[in-house]
Amino acid sequence: MKSAATLLALLAPLSAHAAETGALVRFVSCPVYRDADSGKKSGCWLADDPATGLRWDVSHSPYKPDVGMGVLVEGRVSAEAPTACGAPVLEPVRTSRLDTPCVRHVLPAEGYPGRKFKLPPRNIQPLSVARPVPPGPYSERTFVTYFEFDRDFLVYQYDDFIIDNAVTWLRAAKPKKLIITGYAATQPETVTGRKLAERPQVAQQRADAMAETLSRLLPGLPIETRAKLAAQPTDHPDADGIPGQSQRRAEIRAVF
Amino acid sequence: MPRGRPSSALRRRLLLLGLPAAVLAGAATQSVRVGADAPDRWWSPGEGRVFPATLDYTNDHGTIRTLVVDGPIETKGHPFFEPIGTNGRACVTCHQPADGMSLSARTARERWDATGGKDPLFAAIDGSNCPTLPQGERASHSLLLERGLLRIERPWPVRSFNGKPVKPDFRIEVVRDPNGCNSGPGRGPEAGNISVYRRPRPVANLKYLLAVGFPFDPKQGYALPLDPDDGKPQSGNLMADNRAGNLRLQMEDAAASHLQLMGKLTPQQIDRIRDFELRIYAAQQESVQGGALDTLGAEGGPVKLRDSQPGALGSIGTPVWSEFAAWDRISPADAARLTPEQLAFRQSVARGARVFRDRTFLIFDSAGINSRMGFGNPVRNSCVFCHNMTQMGNDVAPGQVDLGTTTLPFADPWDDLPLFRVTCLGEPHPHYGRVILTYDPGFALTSGKCADVGKITLQSMRGLAARAPYFSNGLAKDLRAVVDYYERRYNIGYTEQEKQDLVNLMSVL
Ligand code: HEC
Ligand code: HEC
Repeated sequence: MKSAATLLALLAPLSAHAAETGALVRFVSCPVYRDADSGKKSGCWLADDPATGLRWDVSHSPYKPDVGMGVLVEGRVSAEAPTACGAPVLEPVRTSRLDTPCVRHVLPAEGYPGRKFKLPPRNIQPLSVARPVPPGPYSERTFVTYFEFDRDFLVYQYDDFIIDNAVTWLRAAKPKKLIITGYAATQPETVTGRKLAERPQVAQQRADAMAETLSRLLPGLPIETRAKLAAQPTDHPDADGIPGQSQRRAEIRAVF
Repeated sequence: MPRGRPSSALRRRLLLLGLPAAVLAGAATQSVRVGADAPDRWWSPGEGRVFPATLDYTNDHGTIRTLVVDGPIETKGHPFFEPIGTNGRACVTCHQPADGMSLSARTARERWDATGGKDPLFAAIDGSNCPTLPQGERASHSLLLERGLLRIERPWPVRSFNGKPVKPDFRIEVVRDPNGCNSGPGRGPEAGNISVYRRPRPVANLKYLLAVGFPFDPKQGYALPLDPDDGKPQSGNLMADNRAGNLRLQMEDAAASHLQLMGKLTPQQIDRIRDFELRIYAAQQESVQGGALDTLGAEGGPVKLRDSQPGALGSIGTPVWSEFAAWDRISPADAARLTPEQLAFRQSVARGARVFRDRTFLIFDSAGINSRMGFGNPVRNSCVFCHNMTQMGNDVAPGQVDLGTTTLPFADPWDDLPLFRVTCLGEPHPHYGRVILTYDPGFALTSGKCADVGKITLQSMRGLAARAPYFSNGLAKDLRAVVDYYERRYNIGYTEQEKQDLVNLMSVL
């Protein structure tokens, strides 16, 4: 248990909007869309942390909010200037849609340009582009995919990229079988005064969703699924240093 | 060279003689649909005509061309053209070359008038609002005659999807049944079926609809499902509700329903139909206002479709509708060879292509885009976001999206269509909530998922000029009405010029 003083110390720089670059920010609120226009997908996603009153630019999330639904924000304070959307930027960041309804808030651009769309680094090539065969030797290896809070839905330009790479390797490595373990962050944590925990079922759902996808991409390869609750954070690089994201995962283990 | 058009009768005779289009240039201008198209505008089943390698028909906007690779084709004995079922229809009945291999509502009316309603097109099974109605009366066929709609009967409840058993996560009740096909003995969800009404989708350029761009269906959140016949990934771009994943499944469905074929298609029939479907291309070739669509650097018409690789995503390769990019920079010398009307029209088409790609607006509450995928709700984008395949304008990923065309509050309030009340039993629908009023649940009738209610597979955008009305339920009576629908759906704020540019673009596809 952290003392009240440490907590205050943690919060203090944030409230001064001078949070240290890299500091972790986590809260629940209602998202705000700012209708900035620098072409396709250039609008801004903002969210106000109810505890500090600070507004953050959360647009860099690989899965973006819905103005009508609550949002769980998890991100790290970035050094990017607040010029694109009018708020300090979280990057890396995740914005999970929660089932709680929100009043829809859409702000005008107010002079902010938003960001011209660039393909995110995790994007896959069309099938017409041959994937280079990854070199051996091949031995037991695990690939990890990540999910939105409490969901089992494959994340576009994130999980598909990870799976595409995994499948290219698996096709070359020809393992005997796959063991897919879905994890759920079922231990409740209090965020913005709200107790958050993933449903236990989502662990198996994640494993099943990945198994369905991999059975289509690697027909005939035997797949076993497992579920693990009370997922703990890991430091796997594809979770981008966001502990909550690293908990919400499925591990695809190739067994020889 | 673009100088107006020869009469279609003359043009057709010349084309049948195998003369290239260039020879036709300079002939007299004619801008209306001409009676001279008769009698061979309509293709009756079993006529035994030869389907020429290139075949042109006029429409309000110009000329549509169908092109058969390695044609001509002998249609005598060909299962696409012969009445192989029990009701006198053939596939060609609803997939007519003059209508871009679909069927316009106007053609349906012309057939009614020409045959007193006796054409097999009006077969009770699905060419009438319901087989239980008095078939001799025009009113019993109003949906086909007014909006080009055929009755599609789907089993209910859905029991399997992609080879796996499913239990629908919604309940469906009939709120209104103006035609009697969703209530009464043996009819309606209670009796194990649902009738919805849909436009025929064009049978041409199919290599594009079958092309697979990426290994995933990001809208469903899985890798693409595999074809039960060859084990390869399926494009997911056939049929409004994606009930058929490949051409064989589609034609078996079509033969059993539309043709009332009692037995099964033979393997030879399946092969011949598939062969024809993969050889036929269709696109607008000439414009009344703009002249030949493949001149001054433009690449309109079906040749380009035939010669291009399908499945390319416009945003990372050749932008969608680049066919008309050259008309953005017509040199003064070339401009001088055009009439002022032609020049203005061509520039408008080129602008229309840019409006289609670059003029953004807020897309909101469209399942498939704004949920469950993580694009956000809303997301700023343009027409090309969904219509993203180079040359074709369908969706490279499986294109099941809820545009609102069949579902309240965005659909037109039509009381001649059945209205269903869908109640989500699990999670509520991400945008409509728990209870949804719809004329056609679309993809949900295939997947069994409430989140898919109202999703309709994006169609080909080719040959639009020949096949009004538009959208799966004929909601848009002409191209302007398509733009008006989007304007209303997404509060776009297009200028009058932008609207006209989009209409002109769509008229030359
Ligand atoms: C009575 C009219 C009618 C007849 C006859 C008919 N079709 Fe169709 N066709 C339709 C309709 C309506 C659709 C759209 C159905 C839907 O989306 O649910 C369609 C869709 C199609 C499609 C899908 C195209 C796309 O873009 O998704 C193909 C392919 C097709 N038909 C082929 C055939 C074949 C082959 C035959 C003959 C065996 C045939 N049709 C007979 C009305 C007809
Ligand atoms: C959010 C995705 C989306 C966007 C954006 C979009 N469309 Fe569509 N479009 C669809 C879907 C889905 C359909 C099929 C709906 C139906 O048939 O009921 C469709 C159908 C059409 C059709 C009908 C084709 C036919 O054969 O009947 C036309 C034409 C069309 N769109 C033009 C446009 C234009 C012009 C724009 C820009 C103003 C646009 N679309 C923007 C999803 C989209």
